Amino acid sequence: MRAYWQLTLSQIRIFLRNRQVLFWTLAFPIFLMVMLGSFLGNGNGISITIGVVDQDQSEQAKSFADELKKNEAISLEKMSEEKEALRQLKKGDLQLVVVIPQGYGTQISAAPAEKPFQMPVYYNETNFAVSQVGLQLVTNAVDSISKEKVNYKPVVVTDAKGVEALNLRYIDFLVPGIVAMMIMSNNMNGVAGQIASWRERGILRRMQGTTLKASTFIAAQITARFLLNGLQALIVLGVAWAVFGIEVRGSWLTLITFVALGTLAFMAIGFIIAGIAKTPESAGPIAGFLSFPMLFLGGVFFPIKNMPEFLQPIVQILPIAHLSHALRETMNVGASFASLGMEAMILGGWLIGAFIAASYTFKWE
Amino acid sequence: MEAATEIIQVQGLVKRYGDFTAVKGSRFQVHKGEIFGLLGPNGAGKTTTLEMLVGLRKPDEGTAAIDGYDITREMEKVKEVIGVQLQSTTLFELLKVEEILHLYASFYKRNIPIPQLIDDMLLTEKKNSRIKGLSGGQKQRLAIALALVHDPSVIFLDEPTTGLDPQARRTLWDIILKLKERGKTIVLTTHYMDEAHVLCDRIAIMDQGELIALDTPGELVKNLQSDSAVEFRFEGENPDMQLPEIEGVKQVGNQKDVHILYTDNLQTTLTDLIQKASEKQLKLADLQTRTATLEDVFIHMTGRRLREE
Repeated sequence: MRAYWQLTLSQIRIFLRNRQVLFWTLAFPIFLMVMLGSFLGNGNGISITIGVVDQDQSEQAKSFADELKKNEAISLEKMSEEKEALRQLKKGDLQLVVVIPQGYGTQISAAPAEKPFQMPVYYNETNFAVSQVGLQLVTNAVDSISKEKVNYKPVVVTDAKGVEALNLRYIDFLVPGIVAMMIMSNNMNGVAGQIASWRERGILRRMQGTTLKASTFIAAQITARFLLNGLQALIVLGVAWAVFGIEVRGSWLTLITFVALGTLAFMAIGFIIAGIAKTPESAGPIAGFLSFPMLFLGGVFFPIKNMPEFLQPIVQILPIAHLSHALRETMNVGASFASLGMEAMILGGWLIGAFIAASYTFKWE
Repeated sequence: MEAATEIIQVQGLVKRYGDFTAVKGSRFQVHKGEIFGLLGPNGAGKTTTLEMLVGLRKPDEGTAAIDGYDITREMEKVKEVIGVQLQSTTLFELLKVEEILHLYASFYKRNIPIPQLIDDMLLTEKKNSRIKGLSGGQKQRLAIALALVHDPSVIFLDEPTTGLDPQARRTLWDIILKLKERGKTIVLTTHYMDEAHVLCDRIAIMDQGELIALDTPGELVKNLQSDSAVEFRFEGENPDMQLPEIEGVKQVGNQKDVHILYTDNLQTTLTDLIQKASEKQLKLADLQTRTATLEDVFIHMTGRRLREE
């Protein structure tokens, strides 16, 4: 028991004295969060800048522009020259250009013509996705003006309701993912690298010459890393709260339970890598081989639903997918632990399986 | 030598790595309270033998008993009575001297007071320093301190002075001799002749996995039956010359093209050698004479030097 505490204490000391590792393991997730958070974070995803060239200057033209402005995703930029507007569209500063031709006001105030008025909308084909969304928005605005003109009464309307009934921003999606990523890389890559290097340098060998048991050593490693990584996760959550106003909607207990499960599962995988890797040099690439696909496929940065169909089965068994999902559900939606039983079981399965494998592959030298 | 109690009995230890046999059935005893040296060149099997005794490698055949415990069946008991310093050990570099001693002490049931141990190993001034900043000699003394935290009766030191400067070596010798005064049994490996001579009560010479001699340093040299050695080369082709027929020569050793003549009568041998060489019009090169040492014992037994330089 004394050996267990001494080893835990030593590991914490080593970690805290290794300032560089301490700094970068914390700096990376925070940096990533702040970067992605401020670039993509605060809006509702897409924002579109539309250049309006008003050649008509009538009341009607103004009300058309106002109709466009109603949409929060659109920001309007008034342009006087059509040429200049098209130049900016090509450059990508504008996503769409709407030209209101002369005569627009007079024609729509007059009696309905046989042919509808044609409003030119320019878009850049190289920016297809955004153009499509923008065109849709302009069409909507035009539609509502048309409907108004003919006193159109809809028979059926859609009533869109988000099932989560929450206002979620990208940053809300991102933070749990980054916490999951941090748990994965600190534990899996961290354990694999450290154990492999201690073995290489004969540190473990020397301990093998004492009455210390491998199980005590591993237990102390787990405890120390568990405390340190828990603290790091809390710091990252604290920054997310202070800078982006992230809140934890579910219970903290559930959140901590999943942080704990994830930490242990990835640590166990780290021990397996350390066991397989013959040198510390090979531990890095092996850990990278596992962690890179997990970063991109595991729902850290992008929702899993966006992944191609054929990758779905792979994605669904990755531990990181379940960890990030569980953290997300807890933080964003406020899901209870009971409703996340599946995630807990899969992570638990990884944890047990990996520890069994790790105990067979662990070597002092 | 008086009848001493045998604290280590090594019974035919064999270690194979694939086709290569690193240790070919060593068999020897270590007496309680002595400093026992395993001497031999690199690759002779010294370290492998030692590592089998301390439980870091499993012997393929044979066994050994340390303080009554069998190393193949009761390793946990063995580890409580032995202290180990391994070749080129690295420790947790970010820990402090005192901290790592407490850490290693926690691995054992029985401990000795750490402050006293730090004083004995001349590390008092460094007890709050990180291991990273210690000199080679200080690191080695710390490694020995770590081997002593649980008050073991047998201490294994694997090349304790390799890579140290002469001053640090002498400091370490003093420490090892003090341990002996306190009744510890010490088994050490070395490839330094002078070290073996100064420290060891008995020496086992190993070569290519085999134990080729075991005696006190004095006896080993005496068995050469010669006090002096004459070393030389012939310039050009090795000539047909009957070296043992030179006057006073008791034994002849060869190492590559260097010839060594062992003799009790240096002057006679030297005169005769020069005379015979002149008669055959042979040119001698690098001629030197010296007192016979353990090195000569080794050259005589194996035809090779301990350290190829």
